[in-house]
Amino acid sequence: MRTPAIALTAVAAASVLLLTGCGTTENAGAEAADGAAISIVDDRGETIELAAAAEDVVALEWNAAENLVALGVTPVGVADVEGYTTWVKSEPLDDSVTDVGTRGEPSIDAIAGLAPDLVVTTTDLPESAISQIEEFAPVLVVHGADASNGIGQMEKNLENIATATGREAEAAELITEFEQKVADGAAALEAAGLAGADFAMSDAWASGGEVSIRPFAKGSLLSDVTEQLGLVNAWTGEGDAVYGLASTDVEGLTVLGDVEFLYIASVEQDPYTNELAGNAVWQSLPFVQSGKVHRLPDGIWMFGGPSSMNDYIDAVVDTLAG
Amino acid sequence: MSSSAPGAGGFGRVGAVALIALGAVLAALLAAAHVTQGASSVGLPELLGLLVGGSDDQAAAVLVASRMPRLVAGVLVGVALGVAGLVMQTVSRNILASPDTLAVNAGAYLAVVAVTAFGVVLPVVGGGVVAFVGGLAAATLVLALSVGARGGGTVRLVLAGSAIALALAALTTMLLLLFPERTTGLYAWGNGTLAQTGMDPMLQLGPVVLVAVGALFVIARPLDIVSLGDDTATTLGVRVRRTRLGGILIAVLLSAAAVTIAGPIGFVGLAAPAIVRLVAVRVPGMQRHVLLIPAAAVTGVVVVLGADVLLRLVFGGQAAVAVPTGVVTTIFGAVFLIALALRAKASSDGAASGFVIGATLSPRARLLVIVGAAALLVAVAFASLLLGDAKLLGGDIVNWITGRAGPLVEFVMNTRAPRVAAAILAGAALALAGTVVQAVARNPLAEPAILGVTGGAGVGAVLVITVWPLATFLGVTAGGLVGAVFAAAIVFGLSAAGGLASTRLILIGLGVSAATAASTAMLIIATDPYNAAKALTWMSGSTYGRTVPQLVPLLIVVLLALPVLLSARRELDLLAFDDDTPRVLGVAIGRSRFGLLAVSVALTATAVAAVGVIGFVGLVAPHAARALVGSQHARVLPLAALLGALLVCVADTLGRTFIAPAQLPAGLLTAVVGAPYFVWLLWRSRRAA
Repeated sequence: MRTPAIALTAVAAASVLLLTGCGTTENAGAEAADGAAISIVDDRGETIELAAAAEDVVALEWNAAENLVALGVTPVGVADVEGYTTWVKSEPLDDSVTDVGTRGEPSIDAIAGLAPDLVVTTTDLPESAISQIEEFAPVLVVHGADASNGIGQMEKNLENIATATGREAEAAELITEFEQKVADGAAALEAAGLAGADFAMSDAWASGGEVSIRPFAKGSLLSDVTEQLGLVNAWTGEGDAVYGLASTDVEGLTVLGDVEFLYIASVEQDPYTNELAGNAVWQSLPFVQSGKVHRLPDGIWMFGGPSSMNDYIDAVVDTLAG
Repeated sequence: MSSSAPGAGGFGRVGAVALIALGAVLAALLAAAHVTQGASSVGLPELLGLLVGGSDDQAAAVLVASRMPRLVAGVLVGVALGVAGLVMQTVSRNILASPDTLAVNAGAYLAVVAVTAFGVVLPVVGGGVVAFVGGLAAATLVLALSVGARGGGTVRLVLAGSAIALALAALTTMLLLLFPERTTGLYAWGNGTLAQTGMDPMLQLGPVVLVAVGALFVIARPLDIVSLGDDTATTLGVRVRRTRLGGILIAVLLSAAAVTIAGPIGFVGLAAPAIVRLVAVRVPGMQRHVLLIPAAAVTGVVVVLGADVLLRLVFGGQAAVAVPTGVVTTIFGAVFLIALALRAKASSDGAASGFVIGATLSPRARLLVIVGAAALLVAVAFASLLLGDAKLLGGDIVNWITGRAGPLVEFVMNTRAPRVAAAILAGAALALAGTVVQAVARNPLAEPAILGVTGGAGVGAVLVITVWPLATFLGVTAGGLVGAVFAAAIVFGLSAAGGLASTRLILIGLGVSAATAASTAMLIIATDPYNAAKALTWMSGSTYGRTVPQLVPLLIVVLLALPVLLSARRELDLLAFDDDTPRVLGVAIGRSRFGLLAVSVALTATAVAAVGVIGFVGLVAPHAARALVGSQHARVLPLAALLGALLVCVADTLGRTFIAPAQLPAGLLTAVVGAPYFVWLLWRSRRAA
């Protein structure tokens, strides 16, 4: 029975060595805050109390990151910076922003390391992760979207973030600018004789031999914005309760008449021109025959804030009335 | 019962042919229903209009460019999978062999997802080739690992296949999580769907399927003889190895073709041939491959088209686009498999082979191994506390323990320590559960994940997450617990009638396991298609966001289970040995089995509730433990628990550190870390077998 004893001693010795043989990574922290106190009720119904307007903010969803930049606050940390850079062109991040991991499981270590005044996330983040973050920073939780109130939720998210960062004036300006954009866009489309025209908006992807199409149903943010421009969404199918997204295949597009068919392709693939171009059903569609298929520029985030929507409106107006 | 023996002449053959013809008529009726369904309004009236010479261009286009490709895809996939499964089962003489268990589906799916995730865009045909190569590569690996061993080959085949399929699926999920935007939609495709944008894939692969099936007819006679057993076949002058190799290669070709066309459509390759064999037993003259092959082809078509038709009947033409056909075939197949298992004789033949992989260590070395594993666990746990996105040093931990750490270290340790503890506890719990189930079921394949208990917990939890998006941890835990207990009640309840005979238990378990996976996929796709990441993460087993209070149930169960199991070590030894010895020695088999299984269900359910679905641990840890210290449970139980804890702890640490600040769920890395070890174990044991 000698060997186990030796081994046990070795374990104990190793543990002591491990515990004592190393230094530390920090000394001690100190914090200070001043300014007017802020109180916000977030989408969970929780009240967020801030001693002063937040300056060092971490955004765990792109929508929140975009709104922060638009308000003039450079976030100290954003989840999936590379993805943001690819998909959200309207409000570029500068190089100082730290990547805090994926949007699904952001690194709580990394967020804590940035010692933020505020963390903004959506209800998609697990509750236990939210409560861990709350141990060191206030967390503002927003709904990613709401298919019963697309534009309203977008504005509410912007306003909540603006309140927390003391940028109400900038938010009001952004909303005014957005409303102006809508009005100008609607006027331009009307001048081009497109008022009341039917449209359909979608994105799509190919996998295997199949093309899946995701129409933006009534209630989705993009549908609401496009309808504000004076067009009518011809897709009458239902979408999901949060984002207002439906799903169909090329056959399902036969319900659409001679509409203005708008789409945003994934950055690297365009199933409409690649996979479907030679398809007989696609070719039989009235809007294909009349040449009303329009690919919008890449990098317009379809679930973003007023900045992304401004880009979208510009793209629609340029494409249809330009 | 008539007295007609096999080969009772013309009359039996006629009956068999008539049955196949009947199946073909059923398939034709389903096909007719199939073309009238779809996302557009084109239905029977419009199609009949076309038949009588109408000129609705769009209806014609829908028929030609959407409905027909889908129908042809369904027919080809049904034929290919039905026949592939039949041949795989014949040559391996194992009813569990199928495109799913040989990892062909998993390999093809991984290849497609990988190509997409890394941003390589290929035309349809290119994508097909990728799936084909992936499926072939996976099957080749599985076959390479299982050939060369004399005897025990069928168990090894399924063991290697399940292990590799699990690892490949884990890699696939990893890519889906890491590249969520690029791979949108592939999660759904991964469950198999017949939708097609054109005839090209079918025009290219149709001839492949036809030639392959034709080739099988040529070797139909040797296949008949091979299915009688190696010795008989050799005596009758059949070159067994060559026939088997040829059969397997053709079957792999067929299943890869099916995956290329429609994605991995689950369970058709298992269910269709099983149905055919069930019928064939009752029909004189049908048990010849000349008839079995067309019968399996027809049955495959009926299953695939039937599932697709049913899907659209239930969800409507538009909504059915989102729910993949493979989900329905899997649930069909699963229910059928369970029914089949219930009818099957409660045999346990062949199950025990490969159970103990030679332990050559001396008694002292065995003890040293256990103590060494404990030492390693201490070291790994320590390293695990230091590693992660923020790297700490030993002194930080001393400060933390003594309460002198600064806010950052304090915080990092407060969130990291529960994660390390969760990994260790869950690993130990799953390993113990696996050890018990393997011993009680006397089957090397048995473990909570394969038996569907883990999957049941997954369904329960995902149901809570999807129905109630703001669910608290307690709600999710309760859902998981209810699901696990429910699945265990089905699996063990249904198989209890046969005294938990190994084969029946595994068959029912596989059925429930597949059904739970499909139900989870259906839940996610149908309710929240654009937030798969959340559920996927949970289903892949993650310590993310764990807090100390969440670990309390698991801790209590592990602390209670360990002494209980150790005191039952003799019973476990006897139960794992054979059926008769424990009975002779006066062990109440039924009752001790029930008690032991109840303990393992409690371990599994609390582990799943704490960290989500982590597979592989319950399979690998007991095998590794037995390989090191032999089969006595007094030694196997503690070592398996240590090894399980080590495996999950290492996987979790890698997941938190490797691509920081991003991270991967521990369950995926468990599979990726565990599979190579498992494969090495299989490879090494070739000599021992």
